[in-house]
Amino acid sequence: MGIGAFVTLVGFSRSFEVGWEKLYEIAGTDIAVIQKTFMNSSVDQSAGATLNALPEIETAEPMVVNMMDITPEINALVYGWPDDAYEFAPLKIQQGRRFQDDAAEVMLGDLLSESLGKKAGDTLDLQGTTFQIVGVFHGGSALEAGAVIMPLGQMQRLSGMDGKVTAFHVRLKPAKPGESAEEHMHRAQAAIEKALPGLKAVPAMERASNNQLVVLAHAVAWGTSAIALLVAALGIANTMAMSVFERTREIGVLRALGWRRRRVMLLILMEAAGLGLVGGLVGLLVGWGGLQVLAAIPQTAGIVSGASGIAWGTMVEALGISILVGVVAGIAPAYRGARLSPVEAMRHE
Amino acid sequence: MSEMLLDVRQARKRYEDGQIQALDGVDLTIAAGEFITISGPSGSGKSTLLHLLGGLDTPTSGDVLFRGRNIGTEIDLDSYRATHVGFIFQAFYLLPSLTAMENVQVPWLGGGDAPRGREETARDLLCELGLEQRLRQYPSQLSAGERQRVAIARSLANHPDILLADEPTGNLDSANTAKIMEILKGIQQRRGMTLIIVTHEDEIANSAPRHIRMRDGRIL
Repeated sequence: MGIGAFVTLVGFSRSFEVGWEKLYEIAGTDIAVIQKTFMNSSVDQSAGATLNALPEIETAEPMVVNMMDITPEINALVYGWPDDAYEFAPLKIQQGRRFQDDAAEVMLGDLLSESLGKKAGDTLDLQGTTFQIVGVFHGGSALEAGAVIMPLGQMQRLSGMDGKVTAFHVRLKPAKPGESAEEHMHRAQAAIEKALPGLKAVPAMERASNNQLVVLAHAVAWGTSAIALLVAALGIANTMAMSVFERTREIGVLRALGWRRRRVMLLILMEAAGLGLVGGLVGLLVGWGGLQVLAAIPQTAGIVSGASGIAWGTMVEALGISILVGVVAGIAPAYRGARLSPVEAMRHE
Repeated sequence: MSEMLLDVRQARKRYEDGQIQALDGVDLTIAAGEFITISGPSGSGKSTLLHLLGGLDTPTSGDVLFRGRNIGTEIDLDSYRATHVGFIFQAFYLLPSLTAMENVQVPWLGGGDAPRGREETARDLLCELGLEQRLRQYPSQLSAGERQRVAIARSLANHPDILLADEPTGNLDSANTAKIMEILKGIQQRRGMTLIIVTHEDEIANSAPRHIRMRDGRIL
C-alpha cells in the first residue's frame, strides 16, 4: 500500500510536471522570464518592452497564472493572456470564439467544460465577478484541458496584480548559423538577464519542472509517500521478525552446517528485499489504479492525464524504493537471526 | 599410532547464569578414524560434549583442540563446522521446502567453496545411500529412515574429518535403526572418518570399539 500511495502521489505530481512541459512545448515557448526568487513570481509588465527590443527575442508575452477554486469541489489553473497570445495557436476552438481583450470573458478547456457542465454562452462566477464563457477549446496538455483562460487585464485585477505578471513567455529568433541549441539558449539568457537585472531567464523545460506549483506538488507527494513507506517498512520488519522467529530452528541448522553469520544475514535480507519487490509490484498495480481514479474524477482530472499512465522512471524508482525499504526493514531481523547460537536455535520449539 | 584429532582438556560448561553445570571438567582424547559412542542418562552432558566437539558451542572454561589448535580461538567456529564436521540429528532437520538433492547441497551454499559439479556429487552421495529413486522427493514424501539417510548424505557433503551423530536412530524403528547403524559404520570404515555417536540405546553404545559413559557432566 505504501508503494501504491507513492506511485499514485508521485505519478500525480509527475503528471502535473509533464503537463507543464507539454504546455510549453506545444506553444513553442523557449524561455520563461521570472523573478530570481520565483516563489510567487511577480514581474513588472513594463519589462515586456525591454524584452521585445532585444535582438535575440522574437516575441515576449506577459502572462498571469494561478490556481483558483472554480466551485467548492473543482479547482483549476486560470491563465491571463493577451488576446493575441502566440499560445492560442495550438488550441483548437471547439465551441464559440476567442475572448476579446479586457472583456469579462473566459474560455474553458474541454475537460473543465465537461466537469462543470458548462458550454459557450453560459456564465462563470470567479471571485465575485461574472464572466461570459465565450469558447471551449481542446489543448494538447491535460493542464490546458482543465484550465480557464481569460484576458490578461481581467486576470490581473482578479489576482490583485495590476501592472504585474507572473512571467513572460519568450519565443526566440532562430539560432545563428553554426550555433548549437545550447549556445543559442545561453546567449539569449545572458542577454535577458543583462537587460533586466533582478529577473531570471529560465529555459522553458526547466521552468516546467521548477515552478512553485510543481515543486509544491512534488514535495507533498514525497512527504506523504515517505509516511506511507515508513508504515510499509514497519510492516515488512514485523513480517521478517515473525519469519525469523518461526524459522529459528532452520537458521540453527544452517549455522550447524557451517553457514556463516553474514550468509544467514544475507539470506534474510534477500528475502526481505524479495518481499519489498513483490510489495512494489503490487503497489505499482494499486498506484496505476489510483491514477486512473484521479484521472476520472473532476477535481483532479485537469492535472492527471490517465492516458500517460505511470512513467518508466517512476516505476523504476518505486521498485528501487520498495526493495530498499525491504532491505532496511530486514536489517534488524537479519541481525537477530545471524546472532542466534546454533544450539539455542535448534532447541527452539 | 593414529593421529590425535580431538583433545578436550578440563572442559566445563555452565548454562543459565551458572545455575546448571552441564560439563564438569571433562578430559578426552580422540584419534583420527576412531568410532566412539557416548551414552548416559538425560542431563549427563553427552549432547553438550558433542556440541563442543562439533564447534556448535564453546566451553565456559577449559579447551577443545582440533589437531592441536584451539577451536573458537585459533580456529573459527564457522569454518571448523563447514570444513571438518558433519552433523546428524535425531530429528533429521531437513529443510522441508527443498528436495533430497537440494538438501544435500545446503552446506555448500553457506559461504564456502562449492565443489564443481555439486549436483553430481549430491547425486552420488544419495545413490551411495540407496536413495537413487528419491532424488527429487521432498522430506514430507520420504519415510523416517529415508530422511535420515538424506541427512547422512548432507553430513558427508563437505567430506568432513568427523561425523557427529546425536541420537541418530532416536526416531526410527528397529529395522531402520539397524540399517542406519550399518550405513554409519560402513561410511566410517570406508572413509576412515572419526565417528562419534551419542545414544541412550545400549545396543548401539556397545557396538563401538570405544564406549564412553557419562553422568552429572563427567566421564565415568
